[in-house]
Amino acid sequence: MIKLTPEILQAIEKPARYTGHEWNAVEKNWDEAKCHFALALPDVYEVGMSNLGLKILYEVLNGRSDTFCERVYAPWIDMEEKMREAGIPLFSLESFNEIKSFDFLGFSLQYEMIYSNVLNMLELAGIPVWTKDRDDNDPFIVGGGPCVYNTEPVCDFFDFFILGEGEEIISEVVDVFVSWRAAGSPGGRQGFLREAARLDGIYVPAFYEPQYDDRGLFSGMKLLDDAAKPVVYKRVIKDMDQVTFVEKPVVPYIDIVHDRIMLELFRGCTRGCRFCQAGTSYRPVRERSKERLRELARKLVDSTGYNEMSLTSLSSADYSCLGEMVDDLFADFEGEKVSFSLPSLRIDSFSIDLAHKMQQVRKSGLTFAPEAGTQRLRDVINKGVTEENLLQAVEAAFKQGWKQVKLYFMMGLPTETDEDIIGIANLAKKVVDKYFEVKGRRGCTVTISVSCFVPKPFTPFQWFGQVPREEFERRQKLLKENIRDKSIKFNYHDARVSVLEGSLARGDRRLSKVIYQAWKDGAKFDGWTDLFKNEVWHEAYEKCGIDITQYNERTRDLEEPLPWEHTSPGVSRAFLRREYDKALQECLTEDCRRGKCSACGVCPALDAKVVDWRAKDV
Amino acid sequence: MYKYRAEITKGEEVRYISHLDYAGVIQRAICRAHLPAAYSEGFNPHMKMAFASALAMGVTSDKEYMDFEMARPLNAQEVMDRLNAHLPQGVRILRIKPVREFKNKKKHKSLMAEVDLADYELFMPLEGDWDKAVESVQEFNQLKEYVYHRVTPKKVRDIEIKQYIKDPVKISMSGDRLKLEMSIIITQTGTIKSSDILKILAEEFGLPINPVRALINRKAMYGEGKALIDLV
Repeated sequence: MIKLTPEILQAIEKPARYTGHEWNAVEKNWDEAKCHFALALPDVYEVGMSNLGLKILYEVLNGRSDTFCERVYAPWIDMEEKMREAGIPLFSLESFNEIKSFDFLGFSLQYEMIYSNVLNMLELAGIPVWTKDRDDNDPFIVGGGPCVYNTEPVCDFFDFFILGEGEEIISEVVDVFVSWRAAGSPGGRQGFLREAARLDGIYVPAFYEPQYDDRGLFSGMKLLDDAAKPVVYKRVIKDMDQVTFVEKPVVPYIDIVHDRIMLELFRGCTRGCRFCQAGTSYRPVRERSKERLRELARKLVDSTGYNEMSLTSLSSADYSCLGEMVDDLFADFEGEKVSFSLPSLRIDSFSIDLAHKMQQVRKSGLTFAPEAGTQRLRDVINKGVTEENLLQAVEAAFKQGWKQVKLYFMMGLPTETDEDIIGIANLAKKVVDKYFEVKGRRGCTVTISVSCFVPKPFTPFQWFGQVPREEFERRQKLLKENIRDKSIKFNYHDARVSVLEGSLARGDRRLSKVIYQAWKDGAKFDGWTDLFKNEVWHEAYEKCGIDITQYNERTRDLEEPLPWEHTSPGVSRAFLRREYDKALQECLTEDCRRGKCSACGVCPALDAKVVDWRAKDV
Repeated sequence: MYKYRAEITKGEEVRYISHLDYAGVIQRAICRAHLPAAYSEGFNPHMKMAFASALAMGVTSDKEYMDFEMARPLNAQEVMDRLNAHLPQGVRILRIKPVREFKNKKKHKSLMAEVDLADYELFMPLEGDWDKAVESVQEFNQLKEYVYHRVTPKKVRDIEIKQYIKDPVKISMSGDRLKLEMSIIITQTGTIKSSDILKILAEEFGLPINPVRALINRKAMYGEGKALIDLV
């Protein structure tokens, strides 16, 4: 058991990140368990504690009497320094046991720029960072989360990955482990991995060997073991009402990023925005029933004491029974000072009315995501929103008393021209003018937040080359010059981070040595502006003799095999190709939830169905 | 509204949380216990709750005091039992009493105005000679006044600190650790932190200890010589 001295704890920021004992933290007996599972998110406590997926898995694993599951996050740099000085290994937050003594260490991979932290945490734990160097004394290193649809750049650091939704499969993995252990660990680590690889949704990268052609391009995967499937499909929960959900989340002492209850209404979004990886990788849409949600809401308020609840989903306003459910929740929690919020709003007046109802008094600000500045480009990305929709929505919002509107856009989308960039400024100006029209005076603030587009695997834009850094910066400057109204605030992303993310997102297995080199040279917390070391990454590419532009800027040939296609969320290549063509033709595709099926391939591939309670009533 | 005063611990498990986060812990426990808390009016209602004195991060306490209000009258024992069932390890309510209003309709002073004294105990490894340690504390105790040049991120001030120290600082050994005991006077205009006195003893009087290795505990808080909960 690790003991932290006052000398360390009094010298660092926010020591409560490391001292555990939070409400609802599960403290079990180590010796009574047959499987010890550490759940990690390779970012700081406040970020890690805000992740819903890990909260669910914590509850699933600790719900098993044979399993001991605890949390661990990346120590902030001040704590890391103290730990290295004092020789303290990475430890779990409940029992303060060494992470190395667990049977599994699972990392939730939320975004590419946190890969360096995985290596750092492994080293802090005293676990070899390369999979090939681990032995029977090391835990199995498991990856999950949104990055699993291209694990190749990090797969030499992991023993296996869980693809898709983890509630059921994680328990199956524990079952396999417990019987393998009981049988005397036949075949050693390989023996367990071979058993695990037979489960649906498990990818063991060591059983696959990437092939490259004479131009150095990826040409396919060679299977090295008979347990290896040619394509591993993600796992999907078919009945959201039956599956375990968080009922007793750990309540932190310190303020975290999402310091409130997260009530997950449904999974999946089939609006079909062509840039969006979540839109393809969480299909199909599966709703919880409103009765189940009411029951969960009650349990969550009672078990946490939180007075704030976020109704989360990829696009919460699309929940089919939202209006009624909000009424029910208001009735259930009347007099309890519980407030509700929607993390994302659709661009329509229904959403405004709802937001108005939910924020009776405080009007903090509304956020919309038109994503692109012109109708042409919005059609390319299948956003399905018109300028008129936006202006009607903000008009409704201004009439209800809102003064602050935030608009999200992307820059560097396929086919984008300067006209599209200037269109962002024009659209923001029209919103400002709308306020004047409604109120007869000035006084609103319109914030436009523009990110740099990163093409992602398993989207119709997976073949497109990413815009180079200089071009992103030119477009940012162009946009800035075209904003002339003082009511408009302009925020934009650091293009340097986006181009690195662009290389990792569509990288192949050769990038593991780049990630290793960058980490060795000091890269960590790359998602944190203050800590991001751009030169370290570019030098790492150079040291490894790898041309970064091959990964981010290069437009892929449509026939070319792609290094991520063997770990699939179920969308077919044919569907993505059709969407690619339609994007170039500026044609829209309907939402399959109520409209025509666009034959994306997910339902047959995963034997799953759309669950939409409104559609069922009809 | 029905006001109560509680005597609560801040134990080892929650040593490193801030005063604000400690208040949050109790507020969430009140919600979990479904107690009918009273809220302030306005756009952003908050629970009506007040503490005697903020406790620094890193300091534990045997007895903290808090006043809070309920919208309905409840038996004090019931409030205590329900709250204790929903408080995390390290936070325990020891006593709760309803705050009775005076017969002459005079309002009770706020807790913060009532508190005038706090006892602390500080434990740390002795990193040198025992006789030297005793000597440094004696030297400090004998002084009639001592001006401390306090530098905080916000401002720099010279403060005469002996006015805030009631009895001589006591020194002893507790097992293998050095123990200091001090009674600190709290006034409406100022006070001094026990950690500042420790720093002065180490840096200016040669007490052979390292202040960053010290564990501080607040033992008691008084108003007019009585435990704060006995004032209601």
